[in-house]
Amino acid sequence: MGASGSGKSTLMHIMAGLDSATSGRVWLGDTEITRLDDDQLTLLRRRRVGFVFQAFNLVPTLDVLGNIRLPFELDGREPNPDEAARIDRLVQTLGLEERLRHRPHELSGGQQQRVAIARALATQPDLILADEPTGNLDSRTGREVLAVLSAAARDYGQAIAMVTHDPVAASFADRIVFLADGRMVEERGRSSAEQISAIMLGMEAAR
Amino acid sequence: MSAALREHRSSLLVAGLSSAFGVVLLSMIGAIDTAARADAVVGASDTASALLLVAASLFIGIALYVSAVVTANTVATIVAGRTRTIALLRLLGSSARRQRSAVTREGLGVGLIGAALGALAGEALHLLLVLVLRETGVLPPADYPLIAPVALLPVIAVVLTTWAAFRTGSRRVLAVRPMQALGAAVERSGEEVGRRPVRHGIAVVLVALGTLLLGGGVAAGLVSSFGVVIAFFGGILSFTGIVLAADLVMPPLLRLVGRAMARTATGRLAAENAVRSPERSARTTIGLVIGVALVTTFAVGLQSYIDMLARAQANDPAYYAGIDEAFAMTVAVFLVLIGFSAVIAAVGMADALSLSVLQRGRELGLLRALGFSKGQLRRMILAESAQLTVTASAFGVVLGIGYGWAGAQSLFGSIEGGGLVPPGIPWLLVLLVVIGTGALAAIAAVAPTRRAVRVTPIEALAAP
Ligand SMILES: Nc1ncnc2c1ncn2[C@@H]1O[C@H](COP(=O)(O)OP(=O)(O)OP(=O)(O)O)[C@@H](O)[C@H]1O
Ligand SMILES: [Mg+2]
Repeated sequence: MGASGSGKSTLMHIMAGLDSATSGRVWLGDTEITRLDDDQLTLLRRRRVGFVFQAFNLVPTLDVLGNIRLPFELDGREPNPDEAARIDRLVQTLGLEERLRHRPHELSGGQQQRVAIARALATQPDLILADEPTGNLDSRTGREVLAVLSAAARDYGQAIAMVTHDPVAASFADRIVFLADGRMVEERGRSSAEQISAIMLGMEAAR
Repeated sequence: MSAALREHRSSLLVAGLSSAFGVVLLSMIGAIDTAARADAVVGASDTASALLLVAASLFIGIALYVSAVVTANTVATIVAGRTRTIALLRLLGSSARRQRSAVTREGLGVGLIGAALGALAGEALHLLLVLVLRETGVLPPADYPLIAPVALLPVIAVVLTTWAAFRTGSRRVLAVRPMQALGAAVERSGEEVGRRPVRHGIAVVLVALGTLLLGGGVAAGLVSSFGVVIAFFGGILSFTGIVLAADLVMPPLLRLVGRAMARTATGRLAAENAVRSPERSARTTIGLVIGVALVTTFAVGLQSYIDMLARAQANDPAYYAGIDEAFAMTVAVFLVLIGFSAVIAAVGMADALSLSVLQRGRELGLLRALGFSKGQLRRMILAESAQLTVTASAFGVVLGIGYGWAGAQSLFGSIEGGGLVPPGIPWLLVLLVVIGTGALAAIAAVAPTRRAVRVTPIEALAAP
């Protein structure tokens, strides 16, 4: 969490190998990604990182199923039986069964985010990066999306790093990091929305 | 201003090319006329130069038509790319009419600049040609006029057609709603853009009527060469129908070609891109279809005629002796003249391709973020342009074979020993046309592909 311009998106991009750091090193698990060249980073994004952006997550020409399977297609392979079963389960839990043949423009914002989440979860990446995934959604749809993400963390043990401005969204997290002016200024374990709001206000007052 | 200039680069080029073409053609006819007057043996013939003028006007007219279609389509693509900006301005209180007339004004500027530059280039080429031809003795020594006043006409025509093409192409501005400035960045689908029953109905009627007339022309041609008049109108009607219904005709053809190419994820995405918006794919390809169809029509028509002559010659060798060489010359000149329109069409197509890549920056960034390698991205764009080009030129060739054959039959079917012959297809030339346009599209894809690959995924994703 952090004020606008505090460097949340920048951090995400660097963690994903989308942007390069001017100094320092970045590790994803046992891999130092600061050393990787563009092709290796591409493979890393394809296989080990999943993305959910605030908007414009889906390829407009592909239907829902095509979008979910895109990471496999890019690898030039079909999902194996385990992965196929996983995709089926995801589609069910996310309530997308009826939508598989629809194109992104035929879906609501919340449905589009759910498709992006399904795509990110399908490859079982080491880390899912979600940059304000609920930023464009109304509060009810936003809650639904958060519930899906936290269920993934709980049921599949999926690691998720999420940027948010919303204390309620942050209260779903096991660990909360606060940024200000490009630096980490505070770190907490699981906290309630009230506690998080208090920290945010405190940070604001300290400026 | 420089951004606008880059957007209009191809319209400028198209205007310049047609203007230069007109100037060179008419000036050279002036030179030939002077040469004929200077030559005591040949002597001046008003009918001959009038005939030349008519033929030249026909070719200039075709070039203007093709460039108008190409320019209108380019403008429509540019407007599609500016949708958000236009919507924002509308949101802030600008009227749709004002937005449109701004685009039309740009068109007047492009027309003026392009036509002027083209006229200068054409004039320079004309002077050079006359000089070279006189020095080498092809043209007799005489006082050749430096400037042919009549050559000013095509230049003015280019300004006007460019302006009109911008006006037509900018019609979409009126459909932009202020709300589009706010909406999520998911583009509207082709279906949503709206069906056009009236336009398509007219198109079907035109094609049906035109085909009937073509058939009638061929039949009448067996008796008299006046059949060509019937066939000519048949050709105009049916072709206009095809152009009107391009957004119905092109996508299935593209899909057909796409299916043949879509083996990998990149191929499949490319295939989807090519048909994602029927209107856009129609816009991108129809210019090239027209260009290739024109070239093929002439080539096939002449080849069919030559075949008929060969048959007639076999029947009556004495009568037709020596007619071949004169004919081969005419064929060559005609093909060069008509080929120019195909070049204009190819320029337009190349530009449409690069614009469409530019406009999809954000989507390409998303693909990179999701694990598309640079190579895959490059292959996808290349496959997409290959698909569009192959489809357009194949369709153009098929149409051209039909029209060319009908033309030859209706005009020459009645000559002694003629009768009904299968279409004569100059395969080498057809191959050259297809390879030429393919190469052009590939070259056209290079620059935007480079840019698309160089931009980092975050830059692309952040783009509006
Ligand atoms: N550690 C850093 N060192 C130097 N510059 C940084 C650092 N972190 C972020 N910046 C710069 O700060 C600016 C804003 O960063 P960023 O877009 O990441 O903010 P944000 O927290 O995502 O804001 P928002 O909530 O508005 O999306 C960027 O120009 C970025 O380059
Ligand atoms: Mg941000």
